[in-house]
Amino acid sequence: MSKLQDWKKDRGEAPGVTPVALHEHRILVANRGEIAMRIMRSCIKLGVAFTAVYTAEDAASGHVRLAREKGGEKGLFRVSSYHDANELMAVADEAGCTAVHPGYGFFAEDFRFARRVTKRDRKMIFIGPSWKIIRELGDKINTKRLARSLGVPTVPGSDRPIYDELEAERIAKSVFDFQEQQGIQRPLVLVKASAGGGGMGIEEVYDPDQFRSVYRRIRNYAMRQFKDEGVLIEQRITDFNHLEVQVISDRSGRNPVHFGTRNCSIQSTGLQKRVEIAPGFAPETLEYSFNAERVLTDIVDYSLTMARKVGYDNVGTWEWIVTRKGEPFLMEVNTRIQVENGVSACISRVHGREGVDLIAEQIRTGLGQPLGYTQEDIATEGVGIEYRLIAEDPDNNFTPWVGRIERFAWEEAPWLTMLTHVPCDAPYEIPTEFDPNLALAIIWGRDLHEAQARGLTFLNSLRLEGSNNAGEALKSNVGFLKANTGRILHF
Amino acid sequence: MIDISALLDEIKASPYREIVIATPHTGRLTFAGLRTGDTVLGPQGQWKEKPGTQLATLERERNPKPICAPEKGEISNLYSELEGQFVEAGTPLAVLRHMLTREEVLRLILQKALHLFCAPERAKYYFTPEVDKKIRASDAHSVAVRDGMEILIMSRMKREVPLHYRGPDGVIYEVYFKYNENVDAGAPLIGVCPRDQLSAIQEVIMRVQTEWKDRG
Repeated sequence: MSKLQDWKKDRGEAPGVTPVALHEHRILVANRGEIAMRIMRSCIKLGVAFTAVYTAEDAASGHVRLAREKGGEKGLFRVSSYHDANELMAVADEAGCTAVHPGYGFFAEDFRFARRVTKRDRKMIFIGPSWKIIRELGDKINTKRLARSLGVPTVPGSDRPIYDELEAERIAKSVFDFQEQQGIQRPLVLVKASAGGGGMGIEEVYDPDQFRSVYRRIRNYAMRQFKDEGVLIEQRITDFNHLEVQVISDRSGRNPVHFGTRNCSIQSTGLQKRVEIAPGFAPETLEYSFNAERVLTDIVDYSLTMARKVGYDNVGTWEWIVTRKGEPFLMEVNTRIQVENGVSACISRVHGREGVDLIAEQIRTGLGQPLGYTQEDIATEGVGIEYRLIAEDPDNNFTPWVGRIERFAWEEAPWLTMLTHVPCDAPYEIPTEFDPNLALAIIWGRDLHEAQARGLTFLNSLRLEGSNNAGEALKSNVGFLKANTGRILHF
Repeated sequence: MIDISALLDEIKASPYREIVIATPHTGRLTFAGLRTGDTVLGPQGQWKEKPGTQLATLERERNPKPICAPEKGEISNLYSELEGQFVEAGTPLAVLRHMLTREEVLRLILQKALHLFCAPERAKYYFTPEVDKKIRASDAHSVAVRDGMEILIMSRMKREVPLHYRGPDGVIYEVYFKYNENVDAGAPLIGVCPRDQLSAIQEVIMRVQTEWKDRG
């Protein structure tokens, strides 16, 4: 067996399969809303056919409309749930799909689903890393162990999921004691659902007496949402910035490149990202108490070291915590495309050209094409800001607002990209089954100040109006986004 | 007190319910050979362990799933043109005319007699762990509720908030929501009976039991 076949067998792929031309593929878009629309647009750009799915609640969503217009025959199916793998497989077979794109959320980080797609009788390609890599890095605890073995710094705390209440309390106590010894004024412990991701099922405890009730709440939540009771207990690092490194590699897994860093420190109280900026810091414009350039180089190097070690073979994001002293800690690896990939794409230039589309790159390399460029061919220019527009009440714990959107309009500009599944020409009822994101606005500027000014211009031009059954006016986070634009990239 | 006779007369005027049977998921559909006008049975047995009359088979991923009648009734419409086709989730395949039973009439009337605590938003609802434990241990009647008590968890858009009970003190008499199913805003979640009205409620039940005769 040749080395290539060896490698393919290793990844659960059939040996000797010759890559098929892009236009002979059909991709099942196993997601909804904005990301489904982005995947479909990238498919159209690459000349790949696609099939989309939707549920009854989503009938008015923009992704359904786009699939009806551009999907052609067998381009759209109604399913009972986006969470039902049988449903997706049945539709894929009926439509003759050759690959599945999971987007983010739902099945994106489910190694069992990825394995099923590639191992079933009628095999398909899972557009994402191979299932073994998802299994290895999707587990926060395993990632932590791997990182520690490579000398990559991680956050102090438990390195396996805790299922036992007494043991959980013991670990929490030791983390509290450790912080007290360190002279930390307000020691905090973080309780996380081990199977969670994207800020879901995370709560902090400041009083050791409160630990048990928080632990139980998170455990119940994890059981309901992820069907796994495992809980992680960590030291809560306050006063930090949340950075990310965007990595991409082709199926060879040997030449990962990065598309720079992002800063996602502006979050809601529920630890959900609200504003994302690329690059991660702006040392040429702002002053930091540490060597910011050095931190950015370090986290990129650490991330690529880990990617090389596991043979990472698609897009992924390494998430980092950077403390005020400039110490980076690896938090987790997201083995999928992220919501905020567009903000890195907008400042990236490959061979000096604009218009980088990371989702198209993900599909292309996922289907077996080589990357076709190296790190030297990638450069960045300017600063990108992404705002997540959400109907929610920032004054009341960011509670989602539910109702009907009656007016949604903004001023177009060459530096602005709006990504939304909310139709602008008809009222739209916000479905309550899914997360409350309405739109992503990506803004580009030559430098930080220009990007900030353009961001405010956009937010001021935005009209977002609506009402609910009780006649109350729509609440949104636009005010929060405006108020936080000034502190972008400031530590 | 409510006028039970008037309510019963109202129900007697149209003593049936039309049930649209839709496909629960996608798949290839094969009908079981029934025709419009045929009578079908709902689930039977002491614990409803025997499924109802099979209407069709839905095959997905080589797993054939029987689609059975949820209630006793008469098939008033059958979409037989779907035979052998790949159908989407939620495609209607038959309409069933179901005559109301005494229990259903009782539930309808009790909804008028009990104090209803309704869903403030469309969301999924769960009992708090303490209440859930009590209900599992005996039944809903054992749970006493007070005004302001934290009784339910409202889960929506992946976020959970506690929900406090508003209304008179009493015991939970009926639970109207199902685990993991969405409840529309304004739909009743639980029916509460104040302790001093327990005897009055018993009387309502007695009257329905004696005055309603099952048909069909």
